[in-house]
This record gives sequence, structure tokens and C-alpha cells, in this order.
Amino acid sequence: MIFRPKYFFGETFSNLKRNFLMFFTAITTVAITLFMVGFFLVIVYDIQGILGSIKSQVEVAVYLKDNITDELRVYLENEIKSWDEISEVKYISKEQALENFKGEYEGSDILKEIQGNPLPASFELRLESPEKVDLVALRFIDKDGNYIEGVDDVIYGQSYVQKLFSIVAIVGTIAFLIIAVLLLATVVLIFNTIRLSIHARRKEIEVMKLVGATNWFVRIPFLFEGFFEGFVGSLISVIFLFILSNYFLIKGERAVVDTMHIKDLAIVGSNNVILYIYLGLVAVGGLIGIISSAFALKRYLEV
Amino acid sequence: MNMIEFRNVSKVYEDNTAALRNINLTIKKGEFVFLVGPSGSGKTTFIKLLIKEISVTTGNIFIAGRNICNLKVSRIPQLRRNIGYIFQDFKLLPNKTVFENIAFALEVIGKPGYVIKVQVPQVLKLVGLFSKMNSFPHQLSGGEQQRVSIARAFVNRPPILLADEPTGNIDPVTSDGIMKLLSRINLIGTTVAMATHDRSIVNSMRRRVVELEEGEIIRDQKRGVYGV
Repeated sequence: MIFRPKYFFGETFSNLKRNFLMFFTAITTVAITLFMVGFFLVIVYDIQGILGSIKSQVEVAVYLKDNITDELRVYLENEIKSWDEISEVKYISKEQALENFKGEYEGSDILKEIQGNPLPASFELRLESPEKVDLVALRFIDKDGNYIEGVDDVIYGQSYVQKLFSIVAIVGTIAFLIIAVLLLATVVLIFNTIRLSIHARRKEIEVMKLVGATNWFVRIPFLFEGFFEGFVGSLISVIFLFILSNYFLIKGERAVVDTMHIKDLAIVGSNNVILYIYLGLVAVGGLIGIISSAFALKRYLEV
Repeated sequence: MNMIEFRNVSKVYEDNTAALRNINLTIKKGEFVFLVGPSGSGKTTFIKLLIKEISVTTGNIFIAGRNICNLKVSRIPQLRRNIGYIFQDFKLLPNKTVFENIAFALEVIGKPGYVIKVQVPQVLKLVGLFSKMNSFPHQLSGGEQQRVSIARAFVNRPPILLADEPTGNIDPVTSDGIMKLLSRINLIGTTVAMATHDRSIVNSMRRRVVELEEGEIIRDQKRGVYGV
């Protein structure tokens, strides 16, 4: 068959004009359904990001006894550094602890009450794998259940950390299911809409076939149309998503972050992943359009 | 030369109704044949078999000496490009103009634009609708619509023209015009087969008449009339 782009594009766009209502329906269906999928993806990605950044901030504070020798301290520090679970060890001396404390409570009456330096020196540990925080804490306890020599106390938010990890897992699973169901609904809706618009033109297809058109000749303008509907529809959904996440979600999150004093929190749109979500939606839209058209056409081509 | 030849052709539909039984018939090049008979006698099946819209159950059909029964599906478009087909309900596309409806048949078979620009006005002059080139089908009378449909069937100058009750939806006076047009097309060498109920047309034309009844040929008469 001779490929004639002028005919195919001309046909696609004159059909666009003449079947405007059908195109409008198809495009809005794609836009609304993909918007829902995209909205969920952004929200889920966002929640995962926030939980992830909280997770990465899981710290273990190891308080040292005041009478610890320098040799023992250095030995402990090197020992901790050699563990796989640890990404960073920071030593905070008694003096620095006091400085930090003063900084945090500047102007407060508490400072006047302090005499000398009651604060202990400590190690602040950041973990490579925050899930293993229990394991790390256990390493500071000897077989009798006491802290090892030189260590006064080990503190990490046991219950809160464990809860956080199970929330991350649950949210991830539920979100995956919802997105899968939404995506399936999207495919079915788009497919039905395109099938209706092809059904409305079955007479045209029949006449084409009876005057000797090959199947591909009939098919190509419909595939173009399907692609166009999917592409434009998904583009519209991405524009709305962009506005929603940039002007509403981010503002909302900034406010939450500011009131909760969480540092280094991942915020929507601050990452390339959102861009990939947008690109993915457009690709999925175009693809669903083409594939739906191809499948919906099948039975009408059998003339 | 035989343009169309049916050899022992039978067609049984899926619900076991026999539409045609053991048909043997030859139509020569340039002939004009009426297929007559009551509804359900097999006229439409006869025509649909020729363009392979449906396939035979047994037997063979030859067009210009070629057996079309073992034609590959991918060759069907080629077959249809050599056969013009006129429908009782015209089958014009409502959202295309007269010009576009006819041009469509040429575009579909890959004719370039400059050929279309010459051939469409030519065939519109032949059917007497040159001035209505830019009208839409709903702006035309039934007779005019049927003439557009004939123009579309003939624009590619096919050697065979099939018509399934072309005057079925048209008043008698307009029908005469349609028949004159088909006669002219026949005169320039086109083989025409026309299924019809229309007694007065068949009687006035005096062409070959093939009468079908319950899927069998019960009469094949040169220069015949509708009923005996």
C-alpha cells in the first residue's frame, strides 16, 4: 500500500472537525481517568517521599558516662564505625552538648538554672539501614543485659520507628492496589469510548471496504485518531496535575513542614520522579488510544 | 468472453437456510442481466458472493476467467476495485459532500489527487449532478442520491457493475432516469447485473432476465419480461 501522509492526516483532522462531540467525549474521558491515576501516583509518591525522608533521619543517640577515658571513647568510636548498619558517627563532647542546648533554648529561664555542665557526651549515629535500628541498639548491651563499658544510655524512638516502618509498607501496598484498579478502569473506559466512536462510523468503514480499501487503509486514520485522543487527553490531565501539585500540594506541605519543624523533608515537585510520572501518563495515554482503536476496529473490518 | 460464471454454486447460511442451490450461470462481457424473484429468493446472496462479502459453501465462481473462491483475503480489495456496487439504500456518507463521497472511492484505492480532480467532475457530468458537487447527501432527493451512488460505483470504470434493487427506494419517474443511466453505462461495455422487484422496469427494458425462486434458477430468458 502506498503511504500517503497527506490523505491520512487530512482524513484524521477532517474527522476531528466533523465528529467533534465524539472526540470531545473521548478526550475528556482520557483526561479525567488519567488525572485520577496521576493524582494518586503523585500523592503516593509524595507520601513515600515524606516517610522515606523521616526514615532516613532515624538516629540513635549513645550517651557516654562522664568518667569515660579517651582511649575507650576512641576505641568505641572506631568499633561503631566498622559496623555495616552505620552510615555516620558524630561525637558530641560535653562542651558541645551544652552549646547546642544553649542554642536551642536561647533566652529561656532554664539556662539560668543550669550550673556547671550536667549534659553527657554522646555519639549520634545515622543508619545505613534504618530498619535495623533494634539490632544496632542491642550491640550496646552485653550478655547480662547491661550497657557495655563506658555507655550510660542508648536512646532511639523504638515504638515510633517500628510504627513508621509498618505504615510505609501498608501505604505502599494499598496505593499499588488502588493504582492498579484505577489503571484498569481507565483502560476499560477509554476502550469503550473509542469503540463507541468507531461504532458510530461503522457505515463509513463498510463503504470503504466495499469499494476496495485494504484493511490498513481503513485502520490508519483511526489509529491516528486514537493516538491523538489519548495524547491530548493525557496532556490535559498532566496540565491539571501540574497546577494541582505545584500550587496546592507544595504550599500545603511547606506549611506542614514549617509547623512540624521537620528538616530536609522531601517535597513534591522537588524531584525528577514527578516529571517521569507526567511523561509516563502521556505515553500511557497515547498507547491506550492506539491499542483501543486497533482492538475496537477488528470486528468492523470483517466485511 | 465470459465475465461472470457460476459453476455448481450453493450457499447455505450458518442457520442452515439454503440461499442458493446448485446455480450454473454465465454472463458475457457487456451483457445486461436482471435478477428477479421474490424476497428471499437469493438475489442479494448472488450479488454478495460476487464481491466476496460472503463466501460460497460449495462450487466455484469465476470472474473474467479467475476463480474467486480460492482468493486470499488480502486480494479481496483488488477484486472489489474491479466491481462497482450500487446499494438500495445508497450508502452515501452523510458528513461528506457529493464530490468527497465519490473522491473517497478513488482515494481508497490510492489514486493521486490530480486524477481525482479530473475523474470526479467527469463522472458527475455523466450522471447529471455536476452542479451539486458541493451539496451534502441530505440536501439531495432520493433519485439524486442514487445517481451519486452510481457515480461512486462507476468513477473507477470497473468492467462489472452490480446493483441490488437500485430503484427500491425511488419513485417510478425517477427510476426511469436511473435505468437510462445504467443503460448508458452498459452501452460503453460495462457488464451490469441488477437485482430488482420492479416489474415495469424489467418489462420496458427487455433485457436478459434470470428468475430465482427459493435459491434455484427457474427461468433464464433473453429479452425477457418480469413474470411469465
